[in-house]
Amino acid sequence: MSDFLLLGARQPGMATTETSPRLAARDVVALAAWHEHLRRWGLLRAFALPQDPVGGLRACLIVRASGQLAASRLAEEWQRRSGYQVAVLPLCDVGQAQGVRSVGRP
Amino acid sequence: MTESAETALAEVFGAEWPLLIGAAMRIVGDLQTAEDVVQETVLTALDRWPLQGVPDRPGAWLMTACRNRARNAVRDNGRARRAIASMTREAAASAAAGPAYPEQGADHDEIGDDRLRLIVLCCHPALSADAQVALTLRMVCGLTTEEIARGCHLPTTAVAQRIVRAKRVLREHEAVFLADEPDVRARLPAILDVIYLVFNEGYLAAAGETLSRGDLAFEACRLARLVTDVIADEPETWALRALIAFQLSRSATRTAGDGSVLTLDQQDRSKWNRELITDGVRALSRARVGGPGPLLLQAELAACHSTAATFDATDWHAIVAIYDRLQRVQDTPVVAMNRAVAVAMRDGPAAALPLLDRLAEDAALKGSHRVWAVRADLHRRLGDRVAATADYQRALRLVSNQAERRYLECALRQVPGAAARTGITREAEHDAAG
Repeated sequence: MSDFLLLGARQPGMATTETSPRLAARDVVALAAWHEHLRRWGLLRAFALPQDPVGGLRACLIVRASGQLAASRLAEEWQRRSGYQVAVLPLCDVGQAQGVRSVGRP
Repeated sequence: MTESAETALAEVFGAEWPLLIGAAMRIVGDLQTAEDVVQETVLTALDRWPLQGVPDRPGAWLMTACRNRARNAVRDNGRARRAIASMTREAAASAAAGPAYPEQGADHDEIGDDRLRLIVLCCHPALSADAQVALTLRMVCGLTTEEIARGCHLPTTAVAQRIVRAKRVLREHEAVFLADEPDVRARLPAILDVIYLVFNEGYLAAAGETLSRGDLAFEACRLARLVTDVIADEPETWALRALIAFQLSRSATRTAGDGSVLTLDQQDRSKWNRELITDGVRALSRARVGGPGPLLLQAELAACHSTAATFDATDWHAIVAIYDRLQRVQDTPVVAMNRAVAVAMRDGPAAALPLLDRLAEDAALKGSHRVWAVRADLHRRLGDRVAATADYQRALRLVSNQAERRYLECALRQVPGAAARTGITREAEHDAAG
């Protein structure tokens, strides 16, 4: 298993996409359930949220996956549920991920 | 999180939405910018809450984030003069009102006023009724353009244009949000009309596949409650709340599983929403303080139906008497038609037919299927098959709602010999259905 960094960014123009109380509630619950699922399976190692989103970056996850393909599948799922554009970056090893983990540990 | 969590969260977001728009409006002074700010605030919650968990006081979290974002928007946009003026006003208002976000049980007047101001703004007289409805649904209820379009059976682009134009008109009229005292009394009829329009649109769909579009009807119920919260001393607001609560209490039983219409005598009264009926009764008692306006009388009529234990227990004498009073304050063909139905129930169909014959010639009702459907039913009850068939056919030519169409088709089929007279054969029916 290796660690991967998933970077979630709002797509340009996303802020102008309308949401509603009902849609927002649905999205929060669906995303929370997915994160819980990751936690339960030990796949979510850490997360970070920028204090003030810059350049569209909204959230980062460090996930465990068996390889690039598995990490990409997690990224695709996150993208589908959150509407983010998700980039996947492999981390060299667990040791290097420790520094990032301290940003926000689930 | 579960489905109940989703419902609870939707309630939080729904309750906060107009407050957030109001708070942003107080700072940025422009409806479009305020909407953008709230939109971005909700997106931030969407980023954070799934990972960090929903805060203990989600409303306060949203309000703080919204105000910060609004201040940033003012700063970023560089609208120095307007910003300084509006922030000065906000600071003064906040200083006078106390804490930035009141604790539970604290005085909610300022926030209440914001919601009221928002409704008043959305019902600006420079806007058409359609625009008022669309803008209220977006700004006060938080429905998306797509949801409004779906609810009103309009193209999304048409609703989007309506909302954009409405915002532009408000800007052109320099519609003020931060008025010292919103001119509520003057706008109250428009506000109540908008809520009633939203309710009617949701409760009895003018067109479409199903009879009701529940979401809009429930939004109207929420709006009516909100208005009674913020304009508690106006009996007409309570009358509207009562009327909507009574009508909505029956919504789950108005159609069968296959979508066909169920009339009052066919509905399972044990499934009527008791909570709404209780709310309606309470609201009605507060509404009776005022004069007998059209809303109060309509609420009284709805109460007669909603509080009758069985269909046979319905007090048709009282209902006709209320219709008589209603005709004195609102003498419209629709009221007259409904009164005729009540007369038919009290005195029998023969007594009501002459009333309907006159109404069938009324220009306002000629294009509506309802008068023909009612007349057809009376003819059927009197055993006049030919007249019943002719009137059902006429109603069918005019009806646009598919659920009502199915009801009329079913009623027509039940008129003995109607199929032969209309040339409908079982085979033809089968072909049509196929």
